[in-house]
Amino acid sequence: MYALKVQNVTKTFGNLRAVDDVSFSIPEGSIFGLIGRNGAGKTTTIRMMMNIYLPDSGEIVLQGSKIGQEFKDMVGYLPEERGLYRKMKVLETLLFFSELKGKKGKGLEKRANELLEKFQLIDRRNSKVEDLSKGNQQKIQFIATILHEPEFIILDEPFSGLDPINTNLLKEIILDLKKQGKVIIFSTHLMDFAEKMCDHIAMIDKGKIIMNGSLPEIKSKYSQRNVSINYSGDISFLKGNPIIEKIADYGNSTGIKVKEPQDVQQLLKILVNNNISISKFNANEITLQEIFIELAGDEIVTNTYSEVKHV
Amino acid sequence: MFNRRTLTIIKRELREKVLTRSFIVMTLLVPLLFVGLIFIQIYLISYDSNTTASLKIISETNILTQSMQKQFSQFPPVESNHYKISYLTMSKKDFDLKLPSMKKDLLSEKLTGIVFVPKSVDSVKLLDYYSKNPNNNSLFDKIKSPINKALIDVHFEGKKLSNKEISYASENVNFSGYRMTEGKHIKAEGEGNQALSFIFSFLLYLSLLFSGTIIMRSVIQEKNNKIVEVLLSSLDSKELMSGKIIGSAITALAQMAIWLLPLMLIISTSWIALPPNFALDVTLFQIFYVLMNFFIGLITFLGLFAMVGSIFDNDQDAQSSIWPLMLLIIIPLYIGISMQNNPEGMIGKVASMFPFASIMVMPARMALVDVPIWQFIVAIAVNLGTMFLVFPFAGKIYRIGILRSGKKPSWNEVIKWLKYKY
Repeated sequence: MYALKVQNVTKTFGNLRAVDDVSFSIPEGSIFGLIGRNGAGKTTTIRMMMNIYLPDSGEIVLQGSKIGQEFKDMVGYLPEERGLYRKMKVLETLLFFSELKGKKGKGLEKRANELLEKFQLIDRRNSKVEDLSKGNQQKIQFIATILHEPEFIILDEPFSGLDPINTNLLKEIILDLKKQGKVIIFSTHLMDFAEKMCDHIAMIDKGKIIMNGSLPEIKSKYSQRNVSINYSGDISFLKGNPIIEKIADYGNSTGIKVKEPQDVQQLLKILVNNNISISKFNANEITLQEIFIELAGDEIVTNTYSEVKHV
Repeated sequence: MFNRRTLTIIKRELREKVLTRSFIVMTLLVPLLFVGLIFIQIYLISYDSNTTASLKIISETNILTQSMQKQFSQFPPVESNHYKISYLTMSKKDFDLKLPSMKKDLLSEKLTGIVFVPKSVDSVKLLDYYSKNPNNNSLFDKIKSPINKALIDVHFEGKKLSNKEISYASENVNFSGYRMTEGKHIKAEGEGNQALSFIFSFLLYLSLLFSGTIIMRSVIQEKNNKIVEVLLSSLDSKELMSGKIIGSAITALAQMAIWLLPLMLIISTSWIALPPNFALDVTLFQIFYVLMNFFIGLITFLGLFAMVGSIFDNDQDAQSSIWPLMLLIIIPLYIGISMQNNPEGMIGKVASMFPFASIMVMPARMALVDVPIWQFIVAIAVNLGTMFLVFPFAGKIYRIGILRSGKKPSWNEVIKWLKYKY
């Protein structure tokens, strides 16, 4: 059962075709990842899903009918660039955003206090937003996203700028929301996170969907004949070997594709015979990162890795 | 366009704008500014009447000298010792010879000036004035009248005219204004309504300028802080824009009502008594009309200011591109103020019913002349019409502008936005 369907959506700005005939479906109760590099069309797609932009053609369908205001009330949206009124007080801010979604009252305030407690911000509830640190402002923004108990939670790059402890806290809460049956939609360029958290993935590049489906399906499709290794030594002798189709260096691991499935054992043998010290050898294993690069080209490699390391 | 989401935005705007120190300061400061301006004017006038001068009046005949002496002895600045005048009789020839010896006193300003009254004044009223500052208009304005009276006295001397006739001939012409209205009463007009006309123009101008700039800044800030994207995930841009505009308009209206409150008290109660020549001829209905006309026009203006705010990423760019909008506020202010000279002039009449201008010009004109009811109605209708014409454009540009950032767009690009499907 699909909760939300994006059907043949296109959006152009002047001469730029930002989103080009994009379709994907988001299953109920899943964590869905929309991944792609910066400028690929993720935010434009999300804005259309939120009814902020109207698509030039195509439509977004929620349980059989085109989305409108009622969908907005069911969504909690954490945009990539956070936005809060700097002069407003924390609790006031939270209640304001929920009131826009049509939720107010004593119960809401109680829930706001509980969430502030959970994020260790309860003592700051009457502080002005501008007096909070950037990390804390981000936590406030996240609380504002989920306070009105939305059915759909759209998170655009939710972990950027959070320290490891808060990253873990956020992950726990996201998984908790999943358990409650909420649909969580991630947009990120961090493949590592998408791989760890998402059940379903759509990859977008230059405005087009280049791949989509459930994560295990995708992985098994792309992992055949693929070996991921960590080693020390020089493997340049592999180049030109008849069993090797491709070698790709991803920095902290190396992906090797062999020509036939039975060549995997042969590869291990060659490596051992050449005195390569192997610390990891994963047959039929591929990372999301590797799949993305295979599909979209490798200009992203250094960029993405350096960003991954920051998190 | 108006629903619970708009209401939530309005509430937030009001909380942010009305319950602030700057609102209270501004509300109190403007009337103080007016009182201050009045005091400065009074001070300048009294300062001017306290200036001293020392004059020599030299006439060619004895009769002229005596007549001058007689008139100036009743001249208030002389009586109060601010003016010191000495009188001499000598011929033009002697005067020309003596002038060099008086030069020193004139240059050191021991002597303010010398008035030479030639015999020819009996036919041509032209006198000579010698001074370091020969274009002293404020002095001329003061001494003209006694000199004229002295000349008239001499001219009609022995012509069998009674003193009464002579004093009639030497009087200046004065006007007292009566305002003709549809009503039965014909009232004498004081200076109160002229002041009122000015106050209306100026308050409306200030309020438009301030609330416009504030909403423009607030839109830029929401855009810069990226709050707008969070807001648009809950409501659409029309709801957001109308909520912001209504919130700002209510704030400005409340402020205007507070400013006009003393006026309403003056005309509806006897708590504050004005001197008779400052009596105000204005009705409560007219003040409510001013507020209503202002509110409608303000909404249009705020829409345009919000639109400009949405186009730009920073205050500087917006300020440098806002001049067309500023002209729409400044030109009516000038028309409103210059109308004091002739309120029934063509420009004033048309401007009081013209889009944008009517907000300021109609109240200014209404204070000066009796405006027919149909013109009040036309002004309101024109204002409403303008509002409905402006909003589809302003709303569309706002919708597109608030979500874009980066390079400052040209007006051509902005016009292209109107064709976008969003």
